[in-house]
Amino acid sequence: MKGVKGVKGVKGANGAVWRASRAAVKRRRVQTVVIGLVVFCSTTTVLLALAVISAARAPFDDAFAQQRGAHVVAAFDPAKASAEQLAATAHRPGVEAAAGPFDQAVVEIPTDWVGRPPGALTLVGRSDPAGPVDRVRLLGGRWAAGPGEVVVNEPFGGFSERFLNHPLPLGDGRQLTIVGFATSMSQSAGGWVTPEQAAALHPTGRQMLYRFSDASGEQRLTSAMGTVTEGLPKDALTNAQSYLVLKEAFSAGADAYLPLMTVFGVLGLVVAALIVGNVVSGAVVSGYRHIGVLKSIGFTPRQVVTVYLTMVSVPAVAGTVLGTAAGWAAAHPILQAAFSGITTGIAVIEPAGWLPAATLISVPLLVLLAALVPASRAHRLSAAQAISAGSAPRNGRGLKIQRRLGGTRLPRAVSLGLGQPFARPARTALTMSAIMLGVLTVTVTTGLGSTLTRLVDHADGRTHIKVLTAHFAGDATTEPRLTPAQTEAMLRATPGAERVSVRGLVQVGLVGYPQPAFADFYSGDDAVDTKRLQVVRGRPATGPNEIEAGPSFIRQHGLKLGDRLTLDLDGRHLTVTLVGEESEGNPRAFASNDATRAALTDDPHAVEYDVRLAEGADPEAYQRAVSAADPSLSPSVFAPDMGGPIVAVISFATIFTVLLSVVAALGVFNTLLLTIRERRRDLGMLKSIGMTPRQVVTMTLASVTWQGAVSAAIGVPAGILAHRLLVENVGSIVFPESAMDVWDVPLLIGLALAGVGIAVLGALVPARSAARLPIAEVLHNE
Amino acid sequence: MNTDHDGTSRPDDAQVVVELTGVHKEFGDAKALDGLDLRIRAGEAVAVMGPSGCGKSTLLNMVAGLDRPTSGTVRVQGQDLGPLNENGLALFRRRHIGMIFQFFNLIDDLPALDNVALAAQLTGTTARQARRRALELLDELGVAHRKDVYPAALSGGERQRVAVARALMNRPALLLADEPTGALDSRSGEQVMDLLIDLNQIGQTLLIVTHDPALATRCAGRLVEMADGRVARERILEASS
Repeated sequence: MKGVKGVKGVKGANGAVWRASRAAVKRRRVQTVVIGLVVFCSTTTVLLALAVISAARAPFDDAFAQQRGAHVVAAFDPAKASAEQLAATAHRPGVEAAAGPFDQAVVEIPTDWVGRPPGALTLVGRSDPAGPVDRVRLLGGRWAAGPGEVVVNEPFGGFSERFLNHPLPLGDGRQLTIVGFATSMSQSAGGWVTPEQAAALHPTGRQMLYRFSDASGEQRLTSAMGTVTEGLPKDALTNAQSYLVLKEAFSAGADAYLPLMTVFGVLGLVVAALIVGNVVSGAVVSGYRHIGVLKSIGFTPRQVVTVYLTMVSVPAVAGTVLGTAAGWAAAHPILQAAFSGITTGIAVIEPAGWLPAATLISVPLLVLLAALVPASRAHRLSAAQAISAGSAPRNGRGLKIQRRLGGTRLPRAVSLGLGQPFARPARTALTMSAIMLGVLTVTVTTGLGSTLTRLVDHADGRTHIKVLTAHFAGDATTEPRLTPAQTEAMLRATPGAERVSVRGLVQVGLVGYPQPAFADFYSGDDAVDTKRLQVVRGRPATGPNEIEAGPSFIRQHGLKLGDRLTLDLDGRHLTVTLVGEESEGNPRAFASNDATRAALTDDPHAVEYDVRLAEGADPEAYQRAVSAADPSLSPSVFAPDMGGPIVAVISFATIFTVLLSVVAALGVFNTLLLTIRERRRDLGMLKSIGMTPRQVVTMTLASVTWQGAVSAAIGVPAGILAHRLLVENVGSIVFPESAMDVWDVPLLIGLALAGVGIAVLGALVPARSAARLPIAEVLHNE
Repeated sequence: MNTDHDGTSRPDDAQVVVELTGVHKEFGDAKALDGLDLRIRAGEAVAVMGPSGCGKSTLLNMVAGLDRPTSGTVRVQGQDLGPLNENGLALFRRRHIGMIFQFFNLIDDLPALDNVALAAQLTGTTARQARRRALELLDELGVAHRKDVYPAALSGGERQRVAVARALMNRPALLLADEPTGALDSRSGEQVMDLLIDLNQIGQTLLIVTHDPALATRCAGRLVEMADGRVARERILEASS
């Protein structure tokens, strides 16, 4: 019986705790909503950040492991290493598995094929897609089984049924038939044919695919390849493509977002912890009397803490669940944007399944942790202390400051407002931290926006007309009336033209690399071409046999400035030197000039013209004249094209800024609401002695305005620093100094005002509610 | 002087400071004031008594412009409070009304002197001038030596004296007191009563709401007894001090 009584007692106590918690939640509706909103915004931010961070690596690793991808795809010179010698390398120490040797040939495709431009294609002779290494996934059709059959590598993992059994004409007049599409996470070839067919294509290389027992870093791979090639003639190895480069290429798009997402994710967590701590500590402080009453009627300290933690947990859990749902819904489209255009192979880009579980567990824990400190104050407080809180003698620096302010010439409403935050320094510090982080976020986003705009901004104050050839515009049926040379001459001669540049585009083979690359050749007055990217290291490729490329291309091909590459087009080889690094760019493209193009091919491969119009020229008239001269051309007024990743970066930054600014403003809102609740009696008294509603609003806004200004004074420099760190660490874009140094006085003033703006935004509603406070009710409710 | 039907005297119109005519105030279904009529002359000290819930505090709030009647008119110093907006009411209070409360309603974060000076500073008076006048008032009320002390460290009587000083800061036409001795011990209560009597003797118009018959009889010249939101009885009191 004793035991039963005990259980009943516990149940009763739990019921009382639950009833007290429920009443507290009901009574503090605004506070409950604020906690819920803060947690909601923070959870969404954190989940999105984690989604991008995890998607940048895991899908590649999974797909690569599934195909037993090659740690190194090696190409050997058949003249220097025999098939037997290469086969023997499979048994060298450190080699876990190997496949090959396979004959490797580079063929020229003279026309468009399966939606790709003409150019070089590396074909490898393999009798089947399986094997110990690089188990190629057949996406459709079948594996090449006879002469003339080819399986095309589809790096993006999809294919069009209609291209099956499509002919693939080669530059030497021969023809292959596409019998299948496949994808290799190792990117070991552009296509596969039978070994016999490969031999018939006059192979220039032999391919070996290796998996090593230790492939954890570039250095290990280099050392392993050293062991593999030991004893082989010097220069037998013509190229070794590391899987780490592919892995990096896979995450290249996401890499642009990673620093950003990490910063915003961390900011989200810090702001959430700060605001939740602030909100809960405010709830405890403003609830001292409530705590005293609970303790005086027999609640144990632990039960009081439970009441307060439960009070916070209810909105925190609701915010977490809704934030997780919102983040999960947004994660899919955001990942699609982040990984658009990259070589995914069979890797599936989707938010990791563990993400919701991670946020559902970790965010409420964080909230509870933030709540625990103020709740433990409630634990320690004696009932007498709690009930008398507020009427205890107070003194200290805060009060001295208020007194000094009272003696200034400032309007009393202003000086009273300015002094208020000193009465609760800890709460003020938390609120200012929230505003500071909000300002930091706004600063980073503004800086990023300006940096990215400057990067793509070629504005010279003139109208540019872009003229696309029918072929490049996707119209393969309209035949051009003019040759490229005639087109350029016509564009120059058409009234209104001031300068004309020409862009030639062709796919070329890179000797030693299995994948071809896109070459942009600029001619004419190329300095004005709006398409041409800024060179941030080295110099622009203006001389013959010089190229420039973006950081992704350089990294993925293991190059550095001054390195040489051999281009292969229609069997003609040209060795070029990398002289410049562009700010960004396609990882499979480089740029050069007409002299280099002429050394490689006679065909200018012109696809696009850029015409700068003279001042006052009529763009409409110019476009009409161009269309009349050659209807196959598509002229249009050039509009600055913010690339997909750039738009995405700005969009993410804007979303996070809005979320975090809302959270920061909610922090201010909550603090003021608590302050006003605490100071209801003071406000009533002030109004009773003649303080006007406007003076009440002024006083309330003054109390936050300086907090906003001081927070901005810290947040803006911190934001500038964070912006610099971010732009210097975006892997796929190298920003020129001119794009990184975006700060000027009006912008800085604007950002400083953002701090005040966030503070005032959060303060407006509480200020107005303070102004409307019913005096009679307040003053008589003692 | 006019005479009412029940024999009580009525103030002359020319000297009227407060005039409530047919004032109703409803809170939902509850009637706090039910057609209240009241006039107070300049220099009068009027005490309002009655059981809890009879509408005493609501009457005070109407006169101070802290609350609005459901119907009827409230005129103070010849000013009809009905058309005034919140801003107008604030300016009206600043100019004409001083208020003292049962629980003093001092600002804990300001010392006594600044609590008193505050009322003048809100009107734009400089801090120096406001503090000088505040110190004079504190001196007159016998608490100047406590000018730098924060409310929490003052005794109940001292707090109420500081509150009275604050109420007098802008030289109001009407001083409203809501249970001014209700939170004080008997000695402090006596001191505050003496203070109110002194103020009335130098011409300050007083309206005191109280449960305490001693306060009413000592400080007021007229007693208004309320019941159910109306004036149930009025009588002139003999001066007892």
